[in-house]
Parts: sequence; C-alpha cells; structure tokens
Amino acid sequence: MKMNTIIKYLAVPVLLLIMAGCSKDKLEEINVNKNNPLDVPSRLLITDVITKTAFSITGSDFAFYASVYTEHNVGIYNQMYNAEIRSAEPALATTYNNTWGSVYETLYNLKIIINKTSEGGDEVGNYHTLGIAQVLTAYNLAILTDLMGDVPYTEALQPGVIFQPTLDKQEALYTEIFRLLDEGIANMGKETTAAGLGTQDFLYGGNIGKWTQFAYGLKARYTARLAFRNGGKWDDVIAFANQSFTSAADEAKFVYNGSSTNSPFYTFFIDRDYFGASTSLHNKLTQRNDPRDGVFFVPYSGSGDVVFAPNGTPSQVQGYYGISGIMSPTAPTYLLSYHELEFLKAEAYARNNGASADAEAALEKGLTAAFAKVGMELDSTYWVDEVLPLFNADPVKEIMVQKYISFFESEAVEAYNDIRRLRALGNDFITLENPNNATQFPQRFTYGADDVTTNLNIADAYGNGSYVYTEKVWWAGGTR
Amino acid sequence: MRKITIMLVFLLIAGVNFAFAQSRTITGKVTSAQDGMGIPGVTVMVKGTTIGTTTDIDGNYSFAVQPNYQTLVFRYVGMISQEITIGEQNTINVVMEPDVLQMEEVVVTALGIPKERKALGYSVQDVSGEELTRSGTSNLAAAMQGKLSGVEIKPSSGMPGASSQIIIRGARSFSGDNTPLYVVDGMPISSTADYSTGNSVTGADIANRAIDIDPNDIESINVLKGQAAAALYGIKASNGVIIITTKSGKGNKTSKPAISFSNFTSFDKVSRKPDYQTKYAQGSYGMNVPNTSFSWGPEISNLPDDPTYGGNSQGHPGMYYVPQLEAAGLDPWVTPQVYDNFGDFFDVGFTTTTSLNISQANDKGNIAFGIGNTTQDGIAPSTGMDRWNAKAAGETKLNDKWSLGFSSNYSRTSIDKLPAANDAALNGVYAAPPNYDLAGIPTNTPSDPYSQIYFRSLTFDNPYWGASHNTFNEVTDRFFGNGFVEFNPYIAENMSLKTRYQLGTDIYTTHYQDIFEFGSRGRTGEMNNYGVTSQTMNSLLTATFDWTINSDFNFSALIGNEFNHRNRKFYDEYGTGFNFGGWAHMGNTKIQQADESQYQDRTVGFFGNLSLDFRSMLFLSVTGRQDYVSIMPRDNNSFFYPSVSLGFVITELEGLRDMPVLSYAKVRASYAEVGQAAEYYQNYFASPDYGGGFWGATPIQYPVAGISSYLSNNVQFDPNLKPQNTKTYELGAELKFFSNRLGVDYSYSNQLVTDQIFQVPIAASTGAAALVMNGGEIKTNVHEVVLYATPVIHRGFEWNMTVNFSKTDNMVNELAPGVESIFLGGFVTPQVRAGIGSTFPVIYGSSFLRDDNGNIIVVDNPGAWNHGMPETGPPAVIGEVSPDFLLGFTNRFDYKGISLSATLDWKSGGQMYSGTNGLLDLYGVSKLSEDREETFVFEGVKPDGTPNDIVRGGPNDPDAYQDLITNVLTNIDEYYIYDNSFVKLREITLSYDIPKKLLNNVDLTVSVFARNLLLWTELPNFDPESTQGNNNMGGSFERFSMPQTSSYGFGINLNF
Repeated sequence: MKMNTIIKYLAVPVLLLIMAGCSKDKLEEINVNKNNPLDVPSRLLITDVITKTAFSITGSDFAFYASVYTEHNVGIYNQMYNAEIRSAEPALATTYNNTWGSVYETLYNLKIIINKTSEGGDEVGNYHTLGIAQVLTAYNLAILTDLMGDVPYTEALQPGVIFQPTLDKQEALYTEIFRLLDEGIANMGKETTAAGLGTQDFLYGGNIGKWTQFAYGLKARYTARLAFRNGGKWDDVIAFANQSFTSAADEAKFVYNGSSTNSPFYTFFIDRDYFGASTSLHNKLTQRNDPRDGVFFVPYSGSGDVVFAPNGTPSQVQGYYGISGIMSPTAPTYLLSYHELEFLKAEAYARNNGASADAEAALEKGLTAAFAKVGMELDSTYWVDEVLPLFNADPVKEIMVQKYISFFESEAVEAYNDIRRLRALGNDFITLENPNNATQFPQRFTYGADDVTTNLNIADAYGNGSYVYTEKVWWAGGTR
Repeated sequence: MRKITIMLVFLLIAGVNFAFAQSRTITGKVTSAQDGMGIPGVTVMVKGTTIGTTTDIDGNYSFAVQPNYQTLVFRYVGMISQEITIGEQNTINVVMEPDVLQMEEVVVTALGIPKERKALGYSVQDVSGEELTRSGTSNLAAAMQGKLSGVEIKPSSGMPGASSQIIIRGARSFSGDNTPLYVVDGMPISSTADYSTGNSVTGADIANRAIDIDPNDIESINVLKGQAAAALYGIKASNGVIIITTKSGKGNKTSKPAISFSNFTSFDKVSRKPDYQTKYAQGSYGMNVPNTSFSWGPEISNLPDDPTYGGNSQGHPGMYYVPQLEAAGLDPWVTPQVYDNFGDFFDVGFTTTTSLNISQANDKGNIAFGIGNTTQDGIAPSTGMDRWNAKAAGETKLNDKWSLGFSSNYSRTSIDKLPAANDAALNGVYAAPPNYDLAGIPTNTPSDPYSQIYFRSLTFDNPYWGASHNTFNEVTDRFFGNGFVEFNPYIAENMSLKTRYQLGTDIYTTHYQDIFEFGSRGRTGEMNNYGVTSQTMNSLLTATFDWTINSDFNFSALIGNEFNHRNRKFYDEYGTGFNFGGWAHMGNTKIQQADESQYQDRTVGFFGNLSLDFRSMLFLSVTGRQDYVSIMPRDNNSFFYPSVSLGFVITELEGLRDMPVLSYAKVRASYAEVGQAAEYYQNYFASPDYGGGFWGATPIQYPVAGISSYLSNNVQFDPNLKPQNTKTYELGAELKFFSNRLGVDYSYSNQLVTDQIFQVPIAASTGAAALVMNGGEIKTNVHEVVLYATPVIHRGFEWNMTVNFSKTDNMVNELAPGVESIFLGGFVTPQVRAGIGSTFPVIYGSSFLRDDNGNIIVVDNPGAWNHGMPETGPPAVIGEVSPDFLLGFTNRFDYKGISLSATLDWKSGGQMYSGTNGLLDLYGVSKLSEDREETFVFEGVKPDGTPNDIVRGGPNDPDAYQDLITNVLTNIDEYYIYDNSFVKLREITLSYDIPKKLLNNVDLTVSVFARNLLLWTELPNFDPESTQGNNNMGGSFERFSMPQTSSYGFGINLNF
C-alpha cells in the first residue's frame, strides 16, 4: 500500500475516535468525581457534627476569648494579649470568624441530617438520630445567640439560594431552641427500627437515654438563662434538672484521646502559648483557702513560684507567667457538665428559698463533682470552714462564685454567659479585676467577618464593631 | 527553525525562478561583512519583479539578465538588503552587512508556525538562548527577568528551586491560574506547581514545574503575549504562551558534528542584610527576661548589673547568667557581647551548571543529544537543588515528501528547602536578641538531641536545630517529548500542502516530604509525605496550505485538531507523633492518615486559520477554535474563540520606501476572545479538616480510633457555571530609523475579563463558605514599549541597547454581588485580596484610625498607657501591590570578541506587606527600635483635630516606646506595609571570545558575571524579591520568608 492510501484509511477512523472522545457523555464521564462521595448516611455526618460542636465551637476560640473576659486566664501574647488590653480584637469581625463559620457549617450539616431523617428523607423513621440532631441544633443555636445576639437563622443555611440572610431576634431564637429541644426529646422517645449510632456517637456511644438527659439539662440551663426576661422560672429549672444527669457519668463531656484528638486549651498552649495565670482567679481561690489554687496553676518552666499575670496589664512576654495546671491533651470539653447542672439546681433552690438544705445539698454535689473534675476530693475542712459560711451569708452569690471557679478553664463560655446574666439580674457576684472593664467590658462577641464582608444585613448590625462594648444581648437586658 | 524557513523561502523563490531572454550573464559572490565567508541562499532578484535566483553553498550566483533589467536586489534574512544598479557590470560582488534589527526576522508563532515578524498583526517577543544564559542562571524565570516587556516575573526568593510567578499583561483570574502556557518543541507542558502554597503562611515554598527546564538547552524563547497571538491554542492559552525551542542542531553552520560544552559557577550571598540595634539585650520593659522573644531588655553593657541574672552581685563581676548555657551543661556565666546572628547563619551559596550538547546537521536532517547538571547549595544550611537534564532530538527527511522527527527530554530535580512564615526556620535568625549567641549556644541539651535549647518559647524551632533535623524536600522525575511525521507532497509550483501529525507526552512524578522531627516545637513532631503522578497525552494534527496566488497575493490556510488528556493521581500520607527521635519515618509515627485522589481532564479543540498577504504590505489573519472541555458542566462545555489580526507595513507603500530616516514602519491591530475554564464538580461531602486558625499541627485527625466522618463540602458549585471570557484588542506600531539603527515597538492592549470563575465567598450563615460561580470583571490596559538602538558601530566596536518598558493597569471592576473583596492568601489579618475598584491584588488588613482628612488619630487620654498613641481602625485596603511600571534596560558592548553586557531592572511603585520588617520592630531588634529612650510625639492629630503634641517616652516614661511598638503598632497591619520600588542590576557579564586561530579552531568563550545586585529600594532592611506564595499572592506578602541572593561567578563555553 502506498503511504497516501494508508493515510486515507487511517484518517477517517482517527477522526471518528476524536469526535467520540469529546461527546458530552464522554466528557461528563471523565469529570466524575472519584475522590468524594455525593451522599453519606446521617450516622457518618453526625460524628463530626458532635466533634466540631465540642472542639471547634464550645472548646476553642469562643472559650479562649471568653476565658480572657471572665479572667480565667490572662492573655499575655498577640491576639489574647490584645483581648486582655481590649485593643482591637474584641471589636474586630475577624476575631471570632473561624468559629462563626464552624457554627453555621455544623448547623447546615445538622439540617441535612434532619432532612434525611424527616418525612421525605431517605432515612425517615430514624427518630433517634433526628432527635439528637434537633438537640444539637438547639445547643449550637444557643451558643451562637448567647454570644452574638440576633443572628441569621430562618433565612440561613441555603447556600446559593439566599446569599444575604436576615437576622432573627434572640427572643424568637430562644423560642426555636425550646421547640427543638422538646421535639428532640419527643423523637428520642419514639420507637425506631433504625440502628443506633453506636461508636459514631463520640458523646454517648448511641445511648439515647443519656441524650435525653442532656436535652433536659439544656432546658434547665436555658430556662435559667432567660431569668431576666421570664422573671425567674426556678421551679422549671429544678424540674428540668431533675430529669437530667444523676451523676458525672451522665454528663455531656467530649473526651479527647490525646493522639488523634487533642484538647483545645492544651493544643492552644502548645501551638500559641498566649495565656498566663490569672491574678483575679488566684485571688478568689486564696480568699477561700481553696486547695484547687495549687492545682489550677503551675509555673511556666515547671519549678519555682507561679508568676501571676495582672489582669488587663500584663507584659507581653511568653515563658514568664504561670500557666494552667489542668490543661492536658486529654482534658475534656464539657457541653454540659454534671457540676454545672448541680450548680443550676442549687441556684434555683437558693433563689426560691435561700440557704435551704436542698440548695446546700446541690452545692455540695456540684462542688464534689467540680473537685473530681480536676482529680481532687472535696475536703471537709474547705467545705465546712470556707464554703458553708460564705454560702450561709449569701447563698446565691457563693453558689455562683463556686460555679464560676468550677468552670475553669474549658467551660469559660458558660462562665461568660453567667456573668452577663447575673449583672442583668443585678447580681454582680463575680469580681473582675481588669481595669479596662470600666469602659470596655465586652458585652458580646462580634459577628464573623465572612458575613460582615458579604452580607449587608450583618454589615449593618456590625457597624464598626464598637457595639460590643455597649450593647447587651436581649436576655442580658439589651435589645438585640 | 529559522534556517528551515529560509530554506522554504529559498525553495519557493527558486520555484518561480525562470529566465526568458538570451542575454548576458552576471556572476558574483555574496559575502558576509562579519567573517568574509560566502553566504548561501541569498535571494538575488530583479527589482519590481519575481525574477531572480539564489546563491549556492559558497555564496556564488550566476544570473542571465535582460537588457531592460536595471537593478538587482540582494536579500537575506538577518542582513540589510542591498540594491545594486546593473549598468554595464558583468561581475557584481556584494558584501552584506548584518541587519542589527533583523528586519526579515522569522518568529515562531502559535503551533510552532514560523512567520516573518512583519507579517504579524500582534506583538511577539523573543529571547535567544545566548541572552538567557549569559549570566549562568539555572532558573528559566530568573533568566528572563528584564528581557521582556509586558511580562512581570516575581521570584519568591533566592533559594535553590524557589517558585516564581510569571504573568503576561496582568492577571485574568482572581484565584485561578494566571501563568502562561509553556510549549517545548511543539508540546504543551505543565509549568505550574501541582500544590499551591494556599494561604502561604505555613510550610515551605513549592517549586513550579518550569524549574525542570534547563535554560542551557534553549535555542530561543518566543513569547506570545496577547490573546490574538495565542488564540490557536484555545482555552489553555488565555494567559499567553511561552514557546521554547530547544537546541536541535538545526542552526549548525557545518555538517560536521558540533560539540558544545559549558560550565557556569557562581557564589551566592544574601542580597541584603538588615540593620540591627546592638545596644539592648533580650527582655521586656528594660528587664532581662531570658526566654522572651523580645529584645526590649536592659542595655547589653548593663547585663552584669541585673538583680536576678547579673554577675556583679553574685560573684561573677562583669558577667551575666544565661540559663540556656546552664541547660547545655556549660558555664552559664558570660561576658556581655553582641553577636551577628543573621550573618552567622548564612553561608556562601554555590551554584554550578554544566551542560554538554552534541549535534549534527546535514541536508537530510539534524540530530542532537544533550546532558546537563545543575548543583546548587543554598546560602542557608539544608537548602539546595540538584537537577539533571538529558535530551535527544532529531529530524530526518525520509524522501521528498515525508519527514520524521522527535524531541525527548528527561529531568530529575531534587530540591531541599526550609519553611517560612508561621513555620519559619529563620524566625530566630532574623530576630534573635543581639546578646544571644545563637550560633554558639548548643541547640539541644547534652543528654537529649531532641530537647531543644532556644532563646525563646518553641513556637518556632531553633533555626540550627531545625535545619539539621527537619526536612523539606521535593524530588521530580519527568519525561516529556513528542514525535512527529510530516507529509509534504508536490501539488503545484505555487502551492504547497503540508500535513503534520504530532503525538506527545508529559509524564512526571513528584514526591514531597515535610518532616518536623521529634522534638520540633518541643513536641513529638509530624511528617507529611505527599506527591503526584501526572500523565498528559497530546495529539496534534494540522494541515497547512500555502498558495502564492500572484505577485500581489499570498494565501494560506490551516486546519487542525488537538486532543489533550491528562490523568493525575495525588497521594498524601500524614503521620503525627514520633515515638522517638532519629528515625523520621512514617513507621515511627503514632497516628497515620492516608488519602489519595484521582483526576482526569480532557480538552479537544478544532481550529482553523486563514491568512492573506498583499504585496508584503498588508497581512490579514483570522483564526477560530472550538474547544470541548471535560471540567465544565455538561451543558456548558464547548465554546468558540475567534481572533482577527491585521498588519500594515507602511514603508512598503510606493513613495515611502527607501526613506533616509524612517527605514521601516508598521502598524498592527488585532482582536481576540479566549476563555478559561475552571474545575467544576457536583456538590460533595468531604472528610473534615481541622487545620488553620490558631492551630499549628492538626488537632483532630480522622479517622478517630477507626471512626470516619464526612461533612458537606463547604465549597459548593453553581451548576450553571460557564467559562470566563477575555476580550482583547491590541494596537501596535513598529518603527525603525536610520537604516535600522534605532527602533521602537509599541503595543497597547486592552483586556476585559468577564464572568470570572472563582470561589465566591458567601456569607457563612448560608451554610457554605464559598460558591464556585461566575462573577466579577477585571479590566487591564497595558502599554509596552521595546526600544532598541545601536548607537555606535565603529571599527569593530558595537554598542547595542534595549529597553523593555511595561505599564500594566489591572483594575478589578466588580466581584460577585455583595462581595467587596475576596481572599487570596495570608493570615486572618492581614490578607492578600482582590478588591473592587483596586488594582489586583491588594493587601487588606487593620488600618490606622484616621480622620476624614486621612490624618492618624491618636488617643488623648492623659494617664492612659496609650495616651498619644494611634489606634487600630477598621479593616481596609492598606496596600496596592501592582507596580506603576517595570523597566528592563540592557546595554551590550562588543569589541573584537570582548563583550560586556548589563541588564538593569527597575520596578517603580507597588507595595508589600513586609511582616519581618514590622516584627523586627516588635521584637525590638531593628535599628529603628534602638532609639527607645528619647521622647517622641507620634505624627497625627488628636481627636479634636488639632495636631498631636503629646510627648511620650523619655526617662520618666520609660515604657511608652515599647508600648507604642509592641502593643499598638504591632496590631496595626498598615504599619507593616512598605513601598517596594527597586532598581537591581539584574545581571552583568563580561565575556571574551578567544580567537579560533589561537586555539586550533576551538571556539572558547570565557566570562565573568554577577547577578541580582540590589542597587536601591524603598523597602527597608530586606530585598523586595523575597515573599511568600507560589500562587497569585506571590510578590506581595512577606513574613520570615527565605531571603533573596546576589551571585558572582564565571563561566566557560567551548564549541568544537
């Protein structure tokens, strides 16, 4: 065959091949994503929803900044130092942006779970997972609104559909929180043939009874939270708390294994080293001869005396001030601790009847659990000689101070919520020593920069950020 | 390539060579004025006709002339044409002078098609291999600096293998690829990095794949700058094309084997050293704190007086106690001294580049073989590059119709690096307290090599410990090349049809290793092994038809198909927590995570080109290309891109020819549309990632104790995505004066990029972080001027100069609705962003609080610690990165084989975030911070608008100055923004071409050179060409980045 002929015989099939090689079907087939699933079952979603809720939302940036504002820690370097001296950070939209994003990412994935397990979803009838998702939605929504006030919710969570969600009022959000908790409790009470979450549930290993206790505990916490607005439904708080945890074994505690999961405060120390031991917390402990003072703080280098950082006026120096003695790679993040629940109960009893036996019993249980949290036993000398006299003198105050101390350091967000709630109620029980508080106590956290820069509704609400020092959230007496 | 074209032209002309009448014969010889040798292939034609001949291999010709013939025209590419009146002569010998401006120059255009430069309706610029390598640069991007207009080349640092960004005529994409397509010997190859450095604030730089190309093997580079020039390449070429022709033996002057050998050796040093204060010791507020990162301590000379650490009161008079020495088991009492911690760390770097090329050419074809090596030891310990290149190429004629050829290239590139920014290896080198002996105090305790001793907390590793224990390495093995067959049958005397089929491949594997050894940051370390295998298949079929219609019109047509398919597989192994030190292996980590991902993409294009030339005066060209791509949504995956260009050589008009001053004038205009696709996928779920934010190591790693989880990916995709579109028009003029001794080539281009595809950040409250969608518009105006002149040619002395000027105004007109700016990289604050109404990119971060007139407002609150100091204002655009203009200026002087050439590079305007400059102030080590005991009045206004007159500092207010720096200015990102205009002596080379007769016909050139001498810059302390990022943020953001270098070296080049 001559070469020209070969060409003719070859050219036609080659051209046909090329044409077939760029057909729409072929090109779409080439572009199939081999690396990621297009759908996953709800049990595989809920694992990281729980993890993110604990590690990223409750445990990390929110808690770090809250621990500065509540004087559990003193920010001694960089961003935390700025927060300490109230320079820039508390009013910047970038400060809480990462966690702002995490909350909405978590809420969006919870919405996917709720849709999957509700009518019309491919896992309809999986009531327990649905209930858990509703409880977690309520929990995340509450954290968000407690810190930031009015936030997008009804128009939120529709990417590519609504680009600039409007804000919901905090009062409406709290209605929604209680609705979600009630529905969640109802769903968790239903019979289901769907398999339990088992090991995918890092919080309770699929134990739906404990999830239900957790939901009741949250109802107690949020009922107390609204005390300034609801006039103090303390009987409800007690009733809800009684349906909740009965021991520390039930509490909603996210445990880190120290290798593939690491506690936020410990990791923050290792990666950043921005905290020093707080003089103000130290003072509260020494005033009570509290044995925890020797456990809460350790010298930076491991030996010598603990140098306490002055609140509001530390030097920006690393490696000098003492550091937390209770942080460790495995220190858990509490979504709701047993001691918190007992302190809630104690407060409710004391608010109803003063220094009653019920209040005292709850306080003792709470304090026992709080000591156990840091590996100690409540010794009777301390209880009898230090706590009880203070309790008898001003029961609610001592309960709240003990609650505040017991929150050190991973439960700082709840400590921050309590301080603001108490002030609204006229109970300024927790003495803060940062001199900047005279004009610059952060009443709230800023909205995230991701919304400030893309959502005009949030940009308007954020303004220049200075509102954080002046405007309280609704349940603390503010308007938004 | 040029030779082949000449041959083609030669054949074409030979074909129309016919002589009629009997008359006398004129003979003669055409010789070169350069070497006196005969020139083969010179066209000898009768003026105003197509009648003529060409010279033979020795330069002789003979030619029958009619009585009515009056003038002969002698033309040869690269020589000045001559016209000789025949008169009564029978012998006409001609000595041709080289045309310094190479008027008839043939350039390589899209798809490797050679065209006469004057036939182009758009701008193309070329750089010869000799120009690229005369200062021995082993890095192609660096070799091109200052030698092209309209092209911005931004190196990230002077480290071996450092990435660099090349952007032609401004950016077209916010977050996507803005780098040109590289085509080597007809094969499009990968030039970008497979891994972006992302936010570019952690880890080490990642080289881009253009590093695999050995500049020494390059014959020439042609840069297709505009969309019209590149339109035939379709969607891949919207950012311009760099066409590289390697040495293949085609240019050989003789048929004997030619061997060339070259070696360049250079010594590198840090291009610029910061000014440090030498007065104050480590500490804070005047107090000696031996583990702080600050140097705000007491005066160094007063250290022995320190109540805690001073020796005067503790039996060690004149000395002070250094706890780090105690930890090292040494005598802790030392005499205060100032150390040059910066200078101690950097060594003299060493680069040697060797290449050998053997080639042969004859009338049947040509063949070449080359091998090259580059060995580089960086100025910092544990940095370096080792690269081997091997190539073979050839082309042969099978018969008068068929020919075959191939080009194959192998490379192996191994690069050792150091990390920067948050993982900076150099934090301590840049910012160690002047009284701390960083080089002298051991890096670890005597009992444990993995227990570091350092002057500060282990947020950063001790640089000496890090350099000897941590590893950042990448190794690439790569093969690319192609084979082709050409069929060129005889059709008619004035027509030709050439069909060419080329099949090529580009295959490489890169392995990366990032190891933080046991003990890094006082922890148990981590390691990351990752890499990519990429295979590209490229099939290219073209048919070209040329038709000389008559003496006025030439027509050519091209049709073709390109089929490009790429498979890539990435792997990633991440291990955390070594069990013990000294065995940095995955098997020694406590937790491992592994992942892989596979991608494929395909582009199929059908294209055509029609050209019509009229009397070598008007040149019209139209192209069209239909592309089908796999990476777009099904209903939006095919698109058509047209271009049209027109060139008009004014001096070919009757009456304008042969003018005494203006020897050549051409205007050109073109219009083109080209798109750019993005990667589209259906929305998916992905394994959660806990990096970023405050976290160094990843705090949560899935699977957790065997349990996996997935979340909806927070980047989602718009199913209606369409390709982004770039519309460009370009106008240009080329003028040459005084027999081409002076020339100017000016281009103006206007680009409008619409429907930008990018990850549009959407409100987090929507549940996703970003949506890949269309939006946004960038408009770019570019003025480019190439000015060249030969001011002197006299008795063998020649002075040539070239100026390359570019002014690129790259303006972001709009982003997505509601989006004012988008994130490209950086920290939480500051960041590099694209912002509406600003040039691209900008630096965004916290600003000074200012009044309406732009004055900085200071606090007026007597008694407050920050009384009289500025405050942090809202986040804003605080710096514009893009320069006002770039100018490269090359002078070359030649005299009897001695050649001196120098290239100056001037960047005027532009700003950068210089994190290190700001942090040297913060740490109290900069020279600026030395003046800390004087009073100061911060320039600004008080809240009431009156000029600030609040005096702070001085002996009664000793903390104020440190407060100002460490508590106020350090938090205002704007403080870290600096103008960074600069002038660099990019390269200077003195070479001597030793006469052949002295060396038995061996051609030996020896040279000495220097590179990157920073002459002047607005940026304090550092070289502005040292920044973070191998992506679009390159050149704008610096923070403990690896330094830039200056080099001094010598080279030899042997040809025989």
